[in-house]
Amino acid sequence: MSNTAPSQAKAESDQPQQQQKPQVLEEDDEFEDFPVEDWPQEEAEQASGAANGGNEHLWEESWDDDDAAEDFSKQLKEELKKVEASS
Amino acid sequence: MSFLPDEFRTAYSNRSGPNLAALLTPIATPNDPDRLRSFHNFSNADYVKEDLGACLFKNKKPRVSHAEKNAWVDIFAAYWEAVGELLELDIPNLGVTPVTIFVAWKKVANALIRGYSASSGLPAWTLPCLYSVGKYLRIFAINADLHVASQESSALDFQEDVAADSEKNANLEEAARVINRMFTLAPIEESRKWGIYNTTNLLFKTYFKINSVGLTKNLIRAINAQSDDLPPLEAFPKSHIVTFKYYLGVIHFLDENYAEAEEHLTSAWRLCNRHAVKNQELILTYLIPCHLVTTHTLPSERLLSPFPRLERLFRPLSNCIRKGDLVGFDKAMSAGEEEFVKRRIYLPLERGRDIALRNLCRKVFVAGGFEEPKDGQAPVRRTRVPVAEFVAALRIGTHALGRVDTDVVECHLTNLIYKGLMKGYIARERGIVVLSKKNDAFPGTGV
Repeated sequence: MSNTAPSQAKAESDQPQQQQKPQVLEEDDEFEDFPVEDWPQEEAEQASGAANGGNEHLWEESWDDDDAAEDFSKQLKEELKKVEASS
Repeated sequence: MSFLPDEFRTAYSNRSGPNLAALLTPIATPNDPDRLRSFHNFSNADYVKEDLGACLFKNKKPRVSHAEKNAWVDIFAAYWEAVGELLELDIPNLGVTPVTIFVAWKKVANALIRGYSASSGLPAWTLPCLYSVGKYLRIFAINADLHVASQESSALDFQEDVAADSEKNANLEEAARVINRMFTLAPIEESRKWGIYNTTNLLFKTYFKINSVGLTKNLIRAINAQSDDLPPLEAFPKSHIVTFKYYLGVIHFLDENYAEAEEHLTSAWRLCNRHAVKNQELILTYLIPCHLVTTHTLPSERLLSPFPRLERLFRPLSNCIRKGDLVGFDKAMSAGEEEFVKRRIYLPLERGRDIALRNLCRKVFVAGGFEEPKDGQAPVRRTRVPVAEFVAALRIGTHALGRVDTDVVECHLTNLIYKGLMKGYIARERGIVVLSKKNDAFPGTGV
């Protein structure tokens, strides 16, 4: 199946759209048809079939940031003085 | 120039569903810009069925049953008629509107449905015809609704909003009913099961478009009910599965079932074609908020960098959550509010504020360093932290100039403990927070 945009259908939809925007979901929210029906595993996002493999780089694993930690430590001490002074 | 009946025989003898489906598309191709016109000129309204019968099955090839032959003749006759309307659409004063096109195309769809039901028995490999015709049925219905709306708004300026949602989408709803018949047709026989996800996807898209997401529940129930009889998911083409999983994920997402949503969206993400950037972006738009809610983690730079739009959508918020910058978080939420609401991801993202607060408190804990090691044992973090330190941290996190009430801070801490984001208790009389010593004071964050 070809996925080339239907020229005729498109021409039809362009015109009325200028007059009135669709009321429903955003047009660009719609999942697109894939240009091909099937593809080999190598072309899938996760090429290796291993369970969970390759997934670990997608999300931040560590909350630690050594440089910022030192700054924060200083900032906290200063702020603590103010808190103690005011109470 | 190619002749449609010849192409039909070639596609049929090769048993190529996609090639056959390509014949039933309502568009001209770059290679053959006159495709529709030349097919339409090949016959006229009185003789089209006879001509088709003679040409599609010239010399009795392909050899098919009488019933199947009639089914194809009916299908292509309806197609011929629809093509005729399409060719006249742009000509003024002929009265052909997008609604006419939709009605004509519906006949093609119905002829196909009859072909697949009962006795005619079109073979399963021809199912791509059903997908393709269904796909255009939806497009023509949307165009027809837009046309009706534009007519009405120019005629009735003052009553624009009177039409109920259902009337605005009358044609698309009709399309949904036809596609629904395709869906109920799909599981009839072993061979036809292969169409089930594709037609379901078409219906999902349609129900989303007419804002009737609730109707998808019946479809999901119907699929679950026959899941034992269906081939395993891996046996289907990946495009069917990725689309199905995406919509299933979003449906659970909208129900705030984030764990289930994440499961479906993750499999959609993994199987998705690497080159389908737009679809990848859509999957991640929902997967990222899910992940934030279920595992309290943020997207990595590597994940976001290929998608500038997602970068804009999630990066500022993620940075504030990581830093524990509560004011920045609130600003990023209101800056992105319109887009978040439009994408329906505002609610789960809002929960990120707890994670920002957790990170702020975690930083206090880390800044507290370690206790004096005892008898050569591994160093233990200081687990008794004065509430005053959290008060100070909150002042930093909220950029507070004035006083931050200790009561309010204790309330925040209690909340974190209740939500399982922090382990410990507040010893109020001593003004100390006693955190877990088992290296899980902030579960899942390594401390």
